[in-house]
Amino acid sequence: MKCVERFDPFEPQWCPGCGNFTLLDALIQALSDLAIPVTDMVMITGIGQASKLGFSVNVNLFDGLHGRVLPTVLGVAMANHRARILAVSGDGGFYAEGGNHLIHNARRNVDVAVLASDNRVYGLTKGQAAPTSAPDFTTKVHPEGTGSHPFNPTALALAAGATFVARGFTGNKAELASLIKEAVEHRGFALLDILSPCISFNKKNTFAWFKERARPVGPDHDPSDLHAAWKLATLQEERLPTGVFYRTERPVFGAHLTALRGDPIAVRTQGYTPERVRPLLERFR
Amino acid sequence: MPSSLSILIAGAAGQGVQSAAAILGKTLHRLGFYVYTSQDYQSRVRGGHNFMQIRFSHGPLAAPVRTHEFLLALNNESLEAHLDDLAPDGLALCMDADKGDVRDPRLRVLSEDVGPQAARGEKFVAMKLLSMLFAWLGFPPETLRQAVEAQFKKSLKPDVLQANLDAVQAVASAVDARDVRAVPFTPAVTHGRLLLTGNDAIALGMVAAGVGVYVGYPMTPSTSILNALAGYGPEVGIAVEQVEDEVSALNAAIGASYAGARSATGSSGAGMGLMTEAMGLAGITETPVVIVDAQRAGPSTGMATRTEQSDLLFVVHASHGEFPRAVIAPATVEDGFYLAAEAFNIADRWQIPVFLMDDMAFADAESSVPSFDLGRVRIDRGPLAPEPGEVRLFRRYEVTESGVSPRAFPVLSKWIVACDSHEHDEVGRMTDNLENRNRQMEKRMRKLKGIAASFPGPEIVGAPAEDLVVCWGSTVGPVLEAIGRLRERGVSVAAAVFRYLYPMNRERVQEALSGFRRIVSVEGNYSGQLGRLIQMETCTRIHGHIGKVDGRAFTVEFAVERIQEVLGGAS
Repeated sequence: MKCVERFDPFEPQWCPGCGNFTLLDALIQALSDLAIPVTDMVMITGIGQASKLGFSVNVNLFDGLHGRVLPTVLGVAMANHRARILAVSGDGGFYAEGGNHLIHNARRNVDVAVLASDNRVYGLTKGQAAPTSAPDFTTKVHPEGTGSHPFNPTALALAAGATFVARGFTGNKAELASLIKEAVEHRGFALLDILSPCISFNKKNTFAWFKERARPVGPDHDPSDLHAAWKLATLQEERLPTGVFYRTERPVFGAHLTALRGDPIAVRTQGYTPERVRPLLERFR
Repeated sequence: MPSSLSILIAGAAGQGVQSAAAILGKTLHRLGFYVYTSQDYQSRVRGGHNFMQIRFSHGPLAAPVRTHEFLLALNNESLEAHLDDLAPDGLALCMDADKGDVRDPRLRVLSEDVGPQAARGEKFVAMKLLSMLFAWLGFPPETLRQAVEAQFKKSLKPDVLQANLDAVQAVASAVDARDVRAVPFTPAVTHGRLLLTGNDAIALGMVAAGVGVYVGYPMTPSTSILNALAGYGPEVGIAVEQVEDEVSALNAAIGASYAGARSATGSSGAGMGLMTEAMGLAGITETPVVIVDAQRAGPSTGMATRTEQSDLLFVVHASHGEFPRAVIAPATVEDGFYLAAEAFNIADRWQIPVFLMDDMAFADAESSVPSFDLGRVRIDRGPLAPEPGEVRLFRRYEVTESGVSPRAFPVLSKWIVACDSHEHDEVGRMTDNLENRNRQMEKRMRKLKGIAASFPGPEIVGAPAEDLVVCWGSTVGPVLEAIGRLRERGVSVAAAVFRYLYPMNRERVQEALSGFRRIVSVEGNYSGQLGRLIQMETCTRIHGHIGKVDGRAFTVEFAVERIQEVLGGAS
C-alpha cells in the first residue's frame, strides 16, 4: 500500500517562514500516520496561498475555484461516498467567497476534513483584509481600518451544525498534526481553523502575536459539551485556545439517501445501461 | 372536419384547473388519441388567472393553438377572457353563478342543483364541467369515473371521492342531446405511447444515460427536472441534492463528474447567470458536465412563469476566457429523451460542458409520443486510460491530436488524478510556462473542430420550397404545423430545424440552407439569436427575424400569420 507523501518536484511558492510550510509538514505527517492508501484520498483546493498546498502532496487533487471548494467536495462525496476527502484553502476561500457553502455543508455534515489556513490577511493579492481581520486592521483598501466585526469561524461552524470544530496553530506542529489526524478520522464535517501567520502582509497578527495567545485547551475541556465549546470559540482576542472544541456524532450527508448505500455511484455507473430507465416509463402510459 | 380539437380549461390557481386538465389529457391519451397540453400560469399559489389547453387528434401534435372548440370556465373572469378564443361553432360552459352578463349562443350554463347535495361548492366545479365536456364528446361517463378514481383514490377522502363520482354521473345525464358532437376522427392503437412533458422526457433521458448525481436549486421552469430525478433517485440510484445556490450546483456537478459519476445540473434565468463562473471551470479542467437551461423570460427575474428563447447567445459565450463547449436543443418531446442522453455522450467524448437548451413552453407542455426505443440510446464515456500496474500520477492533460486526453477516475483506480482550474501541465500541476500554455490552450480549443465535424446539420422539413424559416426548441412544433397550413394557402416555405446549435458544422449548415430565396428565423426572442449565430458561424445570410417576447408560447395561428406576413409576398 502506498501512502501519502510529499510531492517532491513541486516547490511551493510561499515566502520563507510562511506558516503554510508547517501546515504542509503537519499534513504529511498526519496522513502518513493514518496510513490511508494514497489512492483513497481526494484533496480539493481553491485559490489563495494555502490552496497551493495541494500541489506539494501526492494525492488526487481537484484545484478548483476560489471559494467553491466545498460544493466540489459535496459533488465528490455524492459520486463516491467512500472517498476520503480533504478540503484545503484559506480564510478568503472558506470564510469570504465561500461563506455560504461553509454554512450549508456544515449543516449537511458532509464527510470532509476542512483545513482552513487562517492568517487574517489576503496574502496572494498582497495584503487586503480577510473576514477574520480585526476592525482596526488597516490596508490599502481599508486605510481607516475595516470597521467590521471579525468573522468567527469556530463559532459559526458550531452554529451551523459542524460535528467537529477545532483550532490549530502552525507554531505548535505536533498538536496541529494530531488535530489534522483527528479531523480526517472524524466522520462528518470537520472544521479545523488553523492560525497560520503571514510573515509578509500581516504586521498586526504576527507569529509572536499568535504565540502569545495560542494555548491548548487542556485536559479539562470536554469536547462533547457544546456550551463549553461555545465559550472557547467566542474567546477571540485575549486568548486563542487550540485543540478540539467540539465533537459529536450525526449521520453524514447521504446516510438518508438510498442511492448512497452500497457501492459508490461512480462504481455503479460503470455498469449502467439504458435499460435502467425502462421501469420508469410505465407511469407515463 | 377539423383534424384536431382543442379544449381550454381556465380558472384561478387552486380551483383545480391542473387536475382537470391532467385527467382529461390522460383519459384522451389512453383512449388512443394523440394529446398535446400546454399551460399558462402566474407565479402565485392562489388566485390569478390560469389556463390549460388540451388538444387531441388522431396524429401527433406538438403545438398550442389560439382557437378552441371548447371552453370550460371555472369563474366569470375566465369566461370573459376566453370567449374570443372560442371557435364560431364552439361550446363554452360555466356554472350558473359565473355567467354574469355574458350572452352568447355558444354558452351553456350548469345549474348548481345538478348532482348530489354532497357535491356542491367550488371544489366540485372543475369535475362537473369536465363531466359535461365528456358528454358533449360522446364518451360514456364511465370513462371519466374510472379516470377520477385512478387520479384521486389516494388523495381524496372516500366520501369526497364518492361525491365526485356521483356528480360526474349526474352531470352526464343532464346533457342536452343537441350538444353532443361525436369526435370527427378515430383513435389509434397506442402501442405503449407515452404522455409526458419536455422536462419529463429530459429527466428520463438522463436516467437512460446513467446520470448518477443531479444537483440544483429550485427555479421555474427547471424545477420539474430536479423533482423528477429526486423522485426516481431511490428507485434507480441517483443522488439528488437541493443546494444553497446555483454556484454550488455547477461546482458540485463538476466534482461528481471528476469523481466518476455522470452528473448534471439545471436552472433558468438568473440561476444560469450564477453558474457562469463554473462553466469555465468545467472548460479548463476538461470535466464533462451537462447543464440544462430551461429558459424563461429575462433579463433578471424577468417573468418567472413565462417562456422565452433568449439565452442561446448567452450560453454560447458565457464565462470568461475561451474554452470549448457544445449547445444542443430538443425540438420535440421525443428529442428531449434522446438528446438528453446524447448530451452526456458529447460531454464525456469531448470532456466539455454541454448545454441542453429547454424553454418553458417546451418544459411544461405534454405530448403523446411513441414509447422510447432504448436500442437507440448508447452510452459512450469517451476514451478511458488503462489501469496502471502501480500507483502513478496520471497524465490527465496529455496533449493529443483530437485534444481529448484519456480519463481516469480518482479512488476507483491506481492513478493519482489531478485537475486544475489554473493553467496546468500534462499532469495537472499549475504553471504559467508560455509554451505549455500554448500547447494546452490549442489542445483544448481544437476539440471544437472535432465536435463540429461530429454534429449533423439542421433537418429540413417541407422542401422543396421557395423560402426557409430556421427554428429551434419550442418554436419548432408551431412552425412545422404552420408551414403545412401555409402550403395550403400557396405560401411555399420549408423549415430548418436546428438541434445541434453550437459549434455549428459550417459545411453541413451552409449546404442545408442553400437554394432558398430568403431565410428568416422564427424564435421566441427579440434579436433573432439563432439567426445571428448562423450568420456568425457559417456566413449564411439571414434575411429577417420573426420574434416574440410576450412570454407566451408561439401558437400555430401566430406562426402562420407572421410567416405569411414576412414571406407571403402579395398573395
